[in-house]
Amino acid sequence: MKHAVISCLHANLAAVKAVLNDIDQKGISDITCLGDLVGYGPQPNEVVDLVRERDIASCQGCWDEDIIEGLNACECSYPSQLAEKRGHLAHEWTAEQLTDINKDFLASLPTSIRRDRILFVHGSPNSQHEYLLPDMNAFAALERVEKAGADTLFCGHTHQPYVRELKNGSIRVRLQNTSNHNAEEKEINLPMRKIVNAGSVGEPRHGSTNATYVIHDDVTGEVEIKEVAYDIGLTCQAIIDAGLPRIFAWRLSHGFEFAEQAEDASHVCER
Amino acid sequence: MGQKLLISGSPGCGKTTWILNTIKRNQGACGYLRLTEQANNGQEKSPESLIDCTFLKDQVPHLQDLSSCPDTSISKHKDFLSLIELSQSQSPDQLEAVGINPYVKSQLESLKLQPDRHLHFGRDSELPNNDTLVFKELESWSLNLAKSVWDPQSLNTFWFELVNGAYGDVYRAKGLMNLPDGQSIFFNWIVSQKGSQFLPLKTVSPPNGRPERPSGLVIQGKGLDCINIQSTINLCLLNDALLEMHQIPLRDRQSEAIYAS
Amino acid sequence: MIERWALVSGLKGDLETYELIQRDLKKASGVTALFVLGDMVGPERNCDALLNRLQNPRRDELQPQCIYGWWEEQLLTEQGLRGEQKADALRLNQGEEAVTALLNAVDTYHLKWLSSLQFGFIELDCGLIHGSSADIGDNLTPETSPLILIDRLTRLDVNRLFTAHSTKQFHLELTGGGLDSQVKDLNGESQHQQRVSKQSIIGIGAGANYTIYDVGSDETHFLTVGGQYNTKGKGFA
Repeated sequence: MKHAVISCLHANLAAVKAVLNDIDQKGISDITCLGDLVGYGPQPNEVVDLVRERDIASCQGCWDEDIIEGLNACECSYPSQLAEKRGHLAHEWTAEQLTDINKDFLASLPTSIRRDRILFVHGSPNSQHEYLLPDMNAFAALERVEKAGADTLFCGHTHQPYVRELKNGSIRVRLQNTSNHNAEEKEINLPMRKIVNAGSVGEPRHGSTNATYVIHDDVTGEVEIKEVAYDIGLTCQAIIDAGLPRIFAWRLSHGFEFAEQAEDASHVCER
Repeated sequence: MGQKLLISGSPGCGKTTWILNTIKRNQGACGYLRLTEQANNGQEKSPESLIDCTFLKDQVPHLQDLSSCPDTSISKHKDFLSLIELSQSQSPDQLEAVGINPYVKSQLESLKLQPDRHLHFGRDSELPNNDTLVFKELESWSLNLAKSVWDPQSLNTFWFELVNGAYGDVYRAKGLMNLPDGQSIFFNWIVSQKGSQFLPLKTVSPPNGRPERPSGLVIQGKGLDCINIQSTINLCLLNDALLEMHQIPLRDRQSEAIYAS
Repeated sequence: MIERWALVSGLKGDLETYELIQRDLKKASGVTALFVLGDMVGPERNCDALLNRLQNPRRDELQPQCIYGWWEEQLLTEQGLRGEQKADALRLNQGEEAVTALLNAVDTYHLKWLSSLQFGFIELDCGLIHGSSADIGDNLTPETSPLILIDRLTRLDVNRLFTAHSTKQFHLELTGGGLDSQVKDLNGESQHQQRVSKQSIIGIGAGANYTIYDVGSDETHFLTVGGQYNTKGKGFA
């Protein structure tokens, strides 16, 4: 059966509606969301309402967590002072707008959703803030999937959709310890695993302004990356009308997503 | 008595670059002066003058500033080359009509600098014919950034946004920006040319608080969103505590290096 | 010049063992640095004498460079020096008695010094840390999945990781292997093979068991106080 995975909606109602419409037209009713329903965009309540109405199973993203817990994201996860200050502006605005019911809903979201050997998370199994980029060290990437006890790991957070297959792996080691005088050697064969990044509905960062999501066939294992055009002008106008920084609208309309990535992608906040 | 050249042309035509190359080629000593077509509200130097003078002086340390000492004995030497840059905010309707306005004339007279020749970009064939924009009128916005230090990543983001049109149609942007490690970077961008020029100055300040040297930003274009440019810059500049945080490890490294040597 | 490091952990207040190690190190040639990778404190005995000595080393002995370990983390957390949390990990594993015993074993005078210690050192291309950068209580052993070991080396961006929390002495080298990675995105497909880099994880032991590392030859020597080499872990250069 086919199911759709969406992520990083970022309070962009026009984009969410367009993607849900695209999924509906394909006759897919099973949808999973990987979090970041709010943040930067102008319609946090409308987007959360829609996810609740449609009863879409969702993980909690880093933005969802921060809105409830107070600004918790470590400062080091922002790539620059400018990004941090703008992030704080967006955070304050969103926290003020969100209704208590919607805040409670975001607070109730789990950090991961498991379906047999498939795991859905926002960032990585380690943290909602960790970026799993497509060029991350392949062994470290495989470790994330293995640690989660999954065959396929669905994640978001980077806003760049991709499917990464890790296979034909092996590691040879030589061990010296106090009980053996001759070094012991062994070879470990690694399992095949897959990481699927669903991209971003509300703030794409793949070189185009279209929203992205993925469709997964759990029988064949096939994953399709989908691009959906939506009325960006509508969202940009809403950003300006809401009094959010105009630069958010400019970046969205140019496909330069605002939330630039932290430089050290594997960095995990210790807090 | 040496030669005196007046160089004029529209913004971004390559005046400063041509002057730098000419100074480097010249055998004898050189002096430099930058004039504007209008009075500058009593300010000594506009940010653009500060940027150009500081940049040229950094590249050619022996360059003389003609605005402060126009009449020294060395400037009377026969090999001495005086280069006077005239910044024009408006293109003349006709190239033939390129003239020197009375305000510029009076400045030249008071400094006793009567040019032997006037070279104008786009008219005189011995100057490179760069592809410049034809414009009737440009908005200009400038900011003196003395003692301001940028968060480096924020500066990257701001510059990217600026030259890609986030704050209006920018045709030309030029700046001299301080970084926490003591470097000053010359930023130069023209819409007709591909990419920005980033050139670190040779002179570096110690990573010890706010540098004393000139720093500024000049932007020319149409429909400039000056309020948002200014507010974005405010979000990019380091406060004292953050500047100190950037500089402590640099100072430690410096003292370690001294200790090791 | 020969450069050798001594690596010690898990003393838990045992000044006598520390003095014996210092005595051994005086006899060993070329040891230029002594790293104490945490667990200087513990609930079994009063730790004040050892802590005094580590902060005020004798002139004729190697000056110790200390980082904090799992037991220091529990103590500092319980004493309110790590935010609002308490020493829940210790409470869960060993009960309230152990928490009380730990608090009684260390004079509050030492808390300032203990809380000033770093999480780890990076020396040359080596990371020196109590557990790993993933967690202070990361229990890395020879049985730990090599995938996890590679992850821990990658996080610190080092070629050798010296770890202490497992208390075991071992030198495990990654000698070969690879992993195929195929990435499909909206621009198409790309293939890449990640090779295993020559990297090592070294367990330095605890208490009377300590390690000497020869920087030039990449050899590790596993020792026990007063005894001979347990094993010489030949470098794999």
